[in-house]
Amino acid sequence: MKHRTFFWFFLPSAAAMFLFIALPIVSVLMQSVFAPHQQVVREVENCSVFGCTKTTTVDLAATAALREAEPLGRFVGGSIYTDRNHLAFSEVAVLASTADGISTFLDGLLNLPFYGALLFTLTYTLVVTPLSILLGFVVALAVNAVPRFLRGPMIFVSLLPMIITPLVGALILFWMVDARGVLGALIQSLAGDPNLSVKASTPLMWAMLMVYGIWSSAPFAFVVYYAGLQTVPQDTLESAMIDGASRWERIRYVIVPHLLPLTTFMALIKIMDNFRVFEPIVSFNASAHAQSLSYFIYSDLGGETRLLSSAAATSVLTILGVVVLLSPVLVRTWKTYGRGAA
Amino acid sequence: MTTRIADRRPPALLIALNGFLVVWLVIAAFPFLWTFWGSFKVEGDFFSKADWMNAITGPLTTAETGSSFTATGYVGAWVQEEFWRAALNSAIVVVSVVCISLTFGTLGGYALARSSYRYAFWLLLVALVFRAMPPVTLVSGYLLPFFEWNLWGHLPTAIIVLVAINQPFTLWMLTSFFRNIPKDLDESAMVDGCSRFQAFRYVIIPVMWPGVITTGLFSFLLAYNDFAVTAMLLSKENQTMIPKIASFLGTTQTKGNVMFAVSSVVSVTAPLFVLVMFFQRQIVSGLTAGAVKG
Amino acid sequence: MANIELRNLSKRWGSFTGVQTLDLTISDGEFLVLLGPSGCGKTTTMRMIAGLEDATDGDILIGGRRVNDLEPKDRDIAMVFQSYGLYPTMSVYENIRFPLKVRRIPEAEHHDRVMRAAETVELTEFLQRKPAALSGGQRQRVALARAIVRKPKVFLMDEPLSNLDAKLRVSTRAQIKNLHHELKTTTIYVTHDQIEAMTLADRVVVMRRGEVQQVGTPLEIYDRPANTFVASFIGSPAMNLIEGVVTAGIFEAPHVRIPGLQAPDGPVTLGFRAEDAALADGGEITAPIYSMELLGDSSMATVQVGGTLVAIKAPKAFAGSIGQPIAAHVPARICHLFDARSGARLSA
Repeated sequence: MKHRTFFWFFLPSAAAMFLFIALPIVSVLMQSVFAPHQQVVREVENCSVFGCTKTTTVDLAATAALREAEPLGRFVGGSIYTDRNHLAFSEVAVLASTADGISTFLDGLLNLPFYGALLFTLTYTLVVTPLSILLGFVVALAVNAVPRFLRGPMIFVSLLPMIITPLVGALILFWMVDARGVLGALIQSLAGDPNLSVKASTPLMWAMLMVYGIWSSAPFAFVVYYAGLQTVPQDTLESAMIDGASRWERIRYVIVPHLLPLTTFMALIKIMDNFRVFEPIVSFNASAHAQSLSYFIYSDLGGETRLLSSAAATSVLTILGVVVLLSPVLVRTWKTYGRGAA
Repeated sequence: MTTRIADRRPPALLIALNGFLVVWLVIAAFPFLWTFWGSFKVEGDFFSKADWMNAITGPLTTAETGSSFTATGYVGAWVQEEFWRAALNSAIVVVSVVCISLTFGTLGGYALARSSYRYAFWLLLVALVFRAMPPVTLVSGYLLPFFEWNLWGHLPTAIIVLVAINQPFTLWMLTSFFRNIPKDLDESAMVDGCSRFQAFRYVIIPVMWPGVITTGLFSFLLAYNDFAVTAMLLSKENQTMIPKIASFLGTTQTKGNVMFAVSSVVSVTAPLFVLVMFFQRQIVSGLTAGAVKG
Repeated sequence: MANIELRNLSKRWGSFTGVQTLDLTISDGEFLVLLGPSGCGKTTTMRMIAGLEDATDGDILIGGRRVNDLEPKDRDIAMVFQSYGLYPTMSVYENIRFPLKVRRIPEAEHHDRVMRAAETVELTEFLQRKPAALSGGQRQRVALARAIVRKPKVFLMDEPLSNLDAKLRVSTRAQIKNLHHELKTTTIYVTHDQIEAMTLADRVVVMRRGEVQQVGTPLEIYDRPANTFVASFIGSPAMNLIEGVVTAGIFEAPHVRIPGLQAPDGPVTLGFRAEDAALADGGEITAPIYSMELLGDSSMATVQVGGTLVAIKAPKAFAGSIGQPIAAHVPARICHLFDARSGARLSA
């Protein structure tokens, strides 16, 4: 395709992505190095018969004028990045010098909001991704073993947890594990503790969030593996049978190698999706126990105060995190396709 | 269907697999059935401290309303809390996002699939990075300029933002679909006397529908399920369904409001059920489109 | 109808060269075949003529007009694609009519022209079907009909027979030949099958790695291959090539001794065709049989000479067994000599 034709075909899409993805990234970067203006304060001397007193008042007009002139706020460089709510350099330095061991250091570190959110996000991603892929794989094997006419309905049911709105799916689960809900009652009777509440316990909350994550992302792995199982090369499978491979060996040497590229693809998609975990924390009302990077930004943005600069700094750090997570994939893609593509 | 000897599985394995499958199906479906059933009860039954069986039998519901099923949750949400307004907004947003996304996406995806130049590859790679970014990080970039320029709160703003966030995914998917349409087709059209755009219009559009429908389904899901963008960028009167449900939760202290949320949750889920029922094949093919071809 | 001129035509992708400075004149009404193995640049050359690829360098002239910057639609060509490129949503009739429709040819003429094209390729009973309901051969004919429904200046055919089975290929080949005789439109035909090239072409262009190896009539190419590549590509079986040394007009290699050659001393590659040689006691080649194949009208005996296999045509009745030594008569007059290093033809 000629450059000019390509340009016109691609223009609408490029414009949308440029205006609403590329520019916002710039906007986030800008906001993260500017802090809102403080109010302009003026000292006024009031003199009366009793003498003069100095009072300070907020000069509303001047404040407005200043905000008008520099809507971005005042330039503060990297200081938002290093403050307590983000990378917390000074707090970490203090911790490093006072902590009497690696565990106290880590405890202190994870009490800092950014590091806590980072830890939860990474734990969630690293736990949910492999487990949901594994669960999906076993479900695919099981569905593949039932008679063909039963598979349609089974696929239908299996797709539901994935297709459901994340916020809604998490809410449904949340209501069920409520102390007064059916799963909550079950957990209480299993634990033999009638006062046990998921909402009150940090480890249980983390566990529930991850259970939700696995529940909602396993169907994707299931579908991909199921489709993969339908395309296993029959010739290779049959020659393996004739060559004397046992059932297990056929799985090991034919089916698994066939499914392996699918696993890489899925892991990539799932890591991207899980890294942005957000809605379940809203649904579970779990922010006291667990915060993810996305939720951290959301809570800064919401509410009356709208801490735009703080949210922007966290966003920049999150985007960097995404790039780091993706870098092996990007490098590999570049190596395989980038050079070959003419 | 007869099974070849070679394909027979040992019985123990079959029992284990089938047992596992039953457990999985219960895990996948039970929450929906439970919530659907419970949405016709009163709060005291749905969240019963006394006995979880109450949610099924509904003694309090019978006591309060005289019947073991009640639609008060639905009436409260849809009429009293004006959930219909949110549903209408959702419909507007979703339909617009799907239409605009597909228009932009088919044009761009076609160009990417048919360009042999290196920049097509780089654009796809950039799109992959965009696709990976959590939407909420972008939202923090929107707020300030949108406040400045008075764009905040309106439906069209949310629509175009969702379209843009949707683009990377749409492009990837449609590019892979277009690559499967033989190049010979548009090339014969061009030799036969079409310009590039005419070849696209007369020859490619008639054969691209399966891919477009599948991609459209996923655009639909993305717009319908979105919370981060709609919650942050829409004013209260323009709220769509998902942020509306979240706002019910903020006021759960009032008795009965939880049931508003429960009934709205069921209302939101119903269209998705219908969607999966009718388009199961397309969803499956869409999910595997990128994977099976590598 | 028009002649085509390619001047210095090149196509490069980055550091990869697809076609290297090609110069070629195709006269009006000629049937020219571009022949070569896959990746030799033959299809790229055709696509540049069609305007589906941009030329990196050089000029393309159709009927004296430079067309480099014209869109495919403005070059007045018709093309048959390897996989036919039929429009799956249109019926056969609509497929054939499509070029007339998009070129704004008066509606009144459409029906007659479609019917005439359909009759030429014997498709009249399938006009209402969709391409998916046709056999491979019928689809191929739809593609042909779509090409001939207009009167373009040039026909381009990109391996149009390669997706057909062997029997159908022979009959469609004859049909294409006949069609060209009737229409007398300048035709460029791309193939990797040397038999198609030999049977169809007025002139053949043999290509390899983007470069032209030889241009000539089928007979010239068969009788006087310009180098070892052309020699080994044309003919069935291909020409036997033996590496050896000439000393005082005598070619020598293991099992081989051919006197009477006119060539300077030194290493050469000697070639001869299996059908030119004959079994004879005391012949120039003496070696044990490697394999025997019955061809029908004759047999083919293969012997191993040094590292290469050499085929020799034998009478149908000849019954040799593997390992049995035989001798073949390979006189100097049937031999072709090629430079040992460059492979270029040595003898005049």
